[in-house]
Amino acid sequence: MDRNFLTRVTAYFLVTVAAVVFLTPSAATWLGKDDKLPKWMQKMQRIQLGLDLQGGLHLVYEVQVDKAVSDKADRMASDLEDKLRKQAVTQVRAERFGKDEIVLQFKNAADAAKVNREFLRDFKNRLYEDSRDAAKFEVKLKVDSDYVDEQRDYAVRQGKETIENRVNKLGVAEPNVFRKGNDIVVELPGLKPDDFERVKNLIGRTAQLEFKMLDDGSEYMKKIAAAVSSKKAEFPGIEVGHDGWAEKESGQGHSDVYLRAKDRAELERFFASLTGDDLLPTDHEIGYEQTQSRDDDEDEDNKKSAVAKERYWRTYYLHRRAELTGEYITDAETTWDQQTGRPEVSISFDHEGANLFEKASGSNIGRKMAIILDEKINSAPVIEGRIGGGHARITLGGMGDPFQMQQEAKDLVAVLRTGALPAPLKKTFETQVGPTLGRDAVDKAKFSMIVGSLAVILFMLLYYRVSGLIANIAMSLNILYQLAILALLPGGGTLTLPGIAGVVLTVGMAVDANIIVYERIREELRAGKSARGAVEAGFGRAFWTIFDAHVTNLVAGIVLYSFGTGPIRGFAVTLMIGIVANLFTSVWLSRAMFDFYVGRRSSSAHLSI
Amino acid sequence: MAKQTFFELIKPNHNFEFIGRMRLLLGISLVLVIISIGMLPLNHFLPSRGHTLNYSIDFRGGTELQIAFDKPQDPALVRATMSDGGYPGTDVVSMKDAIHPNTFLLRFGAVSPLSKQKADLLHKALQTKLGEDAVRKFEFSDGGDKIYIRFNKAVETEAIVGVLNDAGVKNNAVQRFGRPEDNTYEVILVGLDVEVKRTLEAKLGAGSVVAIPSVESVGAKAGAELRDDGIKSMLFAILCIMVYIAVRFDFRYGPGTVAALLHDAILVMGAFAVTYREFSLTTIAAILTVIGYSMNDTIVVFDRIRENATRLRDKKFDRIVNISINETLSRTILTSATVFFVTLAMNVWGTGVIRDFAFAMNVGVIVGTYSSIFVAAPILIWLNERFFKTTGKPTKTRSSSANKAIA
Repeated sequence: MDRNFLTRVTAYFLVTVAAVVFLTPSAATWLGKDDKLPKWMQKMQRIQLGLDLQGGLHLVYEVQVDKAVSDKADRMASDLEDKLRKQAVTQVRAERFGKDEIVLQFKNAADAAKVNREFLRDFKNRLYEDSRDAAKFEVKLKVDSDYVDEQRDYAVRQGKETIENRVNKLGVAEPNVFRKGNDIVVELPGLKPDDFERVKNLIGRTAQLEFKMLDDGSEYMKKIAAAVSSKKAEFPGIEVGHDGWAEKESGQGHSDVYLRAKDRAELERFFASLTGDDLLPTDHEIGYEQTQSRDDDEDEDNKKSAVAKERYWRTYYLHRRAELTGEYITDAETTWDQQTGRPEVSISFDHEGANLFEKASGSNIGRKMAIILDEKINSAPVIEGRIGGGHARITLGGMGDPFQMQQEAKDLVAVLRTGALPAPLKKTFETQVGPTLGRDAVDKAKFSMIVGSLAVILFMLLYYRVSGLIANIAMSLNILYQLAILALLPGGGTLTLPGIAGVVLTVGMAVDANIIVYERIREELRAGKSARGAVEAGFGRAFWTIFDAHVTNLVAGIVLYSFGTGPIRGFAVTLMIGIVANLFTSVWLSRAMFDFYVGRRSSSAHLSI
Repeated sequence: MAKQTFFELIKPNHNFEFIGRMRLLLGISLVLVIISIGMLPLNHFLPSRGHTLNYSIDFRGGTELQIAFDKPQDPALVRATMSDGGYPGTDVVSMKDAIHPNTFLLRFGAVSPLSKQKADLLHKALQTKLGEDAVRKFEFSDGGDKIYIRFNKAVETEAIVGVLNDAGVKNNAVQRFGRPEDNTYEVILVGLDVEVKRTLEAKLGAGSVVAIPSVESVGAKAGAELRDDGIKSMLFAILCIMVYIAVRFDFRYGPGTVAALLHDAILVMGAFAVTYREFSLTTIAAILTVIGYSMNDTIVVFDRIRENATRLRDKKFDRIVNISINETLSRTILTSATVFFVTLAMNVWGTGVIRDFAFAMNVGVIVGTYSSIFVAAPILIWLNERFFKTTGKPTKTRSSSANKAIA
């Protein structure tokens, strides 16, 4: 055995040890023994199981870029009306048509003439005059096409970032968000089915935050309280509640009447059923809050029994106009209420928002301000004084276990921080796979593959004896190397069902490569060559056959990877890895084993093949 | 030294005649290809089938969901209930499932809980209830999961919910969108799975749906994209393979290889057309595997032909081909048999996608082996006679000389 041979064997040995090391973390994860890994291994990359194998959620959203453009056009139309109004033009209607056309309809020629170059300077690079119908007093404006493209691209980029930020805050392992044209792909392998709805809602959530003032002590609510008793038969679940608090500084008392019920829908139906004088004034609206009896409840009975704490919905009679909206938020974070220890979300406003907030709080001291998130009142604290500095806090519902509340706080921070989506999303593709389904498929696949592999191993042993054993060792090492390379791919490779198909194909090719070599060696032996000579010739002649067959498949793999999508790519990745591993094991590694096997025997001895 | 004997399936020095039977077998291949392609329009017109292939929603667009009931259900009743609930033409297939015994696979065209027609009705309902000119814009794109409604005045969200409920669009969230003074509202439609569950439970009783283990929706546009991507990548791969073979061997060998793999791809597709098994993205992956396998097989045979062509210059080219096929026959049979039995095990014990994959491989291994001998080789011989009329010595001998150097 020469030195060259020893170096080769050492190299193969080191490669094998490295492969085992790289695969250990993945194997430990699959067996659920992650905690038993040594520390330095814990952080190593693992092979991810694809959605089809472990369950999870796969979503593709199309960013409706045209909606982003038409929204901008809508706003410009409103701005145009405002600007015209400032120039004393009241008889005008600005309306968007299509996605990028705004038509200004005037009542007379003089007003229409006011829309000129000078007037449109404010909308430079955004709008230009398309045409003018003097007879109809109509001016048609168009949104600049560069501006349109810019807005579209911005919408997709911003949408991707927003989704990415939201998803990253979910606490799901290995989320994957990427852009594909105007589409955004979200992959969440391993997500539990119970979380599907929550996650989908979070991704699609608009995150509309509003601050509105409560109109306490109103005549309207007193009138409505009377209406409740007359409609008792129709709405048995609705009760009238009274609320009272005192201003801290002046001590002036406030009182309010509200309605409450277990079911929000019942309250909504009640207000919808009102007619005539009872109809809700148009400058007001009803807000709903889900709450529960607290320790500071006036009702003594509720205070005593902690068990009786029940959740219910209550109404707030609000001024429709929002004092402030979420558009002014710059940051949000989870904090803890010092007194109750409950999680809460603290938000910061930008300069303009801080000014608005200060003004609103200053002129409404002693009143309640409702914080409304996505049409639901989050809380309605009493304003105790002018609030400067641009900070506000949102306390969480107050029910549920601490873990759930914390989760809720985190989700809320995620959506508030990332802001509203710039354009609506349209879901074009959705796959939900429960882990049980994935598990079932994996188990069956595993079983069938084990049976198949055992049959091949047995066959090779019977047919080729010692050489068959060598082939089997090479094949096992081949699979080991393939998986190790997969684990080493940037970000950890993902194994999917089509990926397994790729492995099956390459293992088939590995077996084939061995058979090609062995049949060649047999031919050489029949021709009367010595064992050593036959091995030499067999490997030498078979090499180019195996090489060509593998390279053609590699070419196919590269093309499929570059042009394919999803499952086709998964197939291409394992195919390419497998081909490289195959060439290594079936050409060089099994050759080394043969050299070892043949080298120890006399030249006249028979080869067990 | 005593002549060594081996455990052999096929004795050496056999010489089966392949090339002489070429015409007959090529004919059979041609017939099979015609049947495979002919099955497509036939399937389309067969009342029980209706599509050229049993396309999964990957290509068709639509929704496929697994649904488990608490007790056995009549598929016809499920179908009728779905149809009444606004999902006409739903495929209801009973499926085996270890965890939930009464599981069905439902497949229907809708990807959104709201159809275009229903959305139009809703638009009209809003106009009649809230005033003709109250609704400024009503935006819903087919397949979307949200509706945007812009009003000319502020509207109670409850009022919108009321109209939605009356129109049969229930359990949806309505919220304000954008700036308050825009008066725009967003209706978030509930998931299709929730809607289907509601539809079925209304008829079959509450609690009758135990679980919905998987849901998959593909928009029609996304489906078309997947299909085009698949076809494009497959064609480009074939082109690249041809170029590679032309460079490595010479151009005579390229068309035969490609014809063989097209033959195999068509026959596997034909097997899916005849059995009307589901044709999905996994099937594409399976066809790619078959192509890879078939190519491997063809190249092994061609490589031997190339080698023998330089060695046996005195023989006619078709004889060289026949000898080469015989020489590699033992290997061909062994390899095919092993791959066939592995995939057969997957076919017998596997489920769902694995089983379809294995089925494609079973067919593919047989036709792949066959096509190397009876499709690729005859084309090679024909091209050789037509353009070279030589004994078949390749114009490039780089690899052959490499062989010699090693040997």
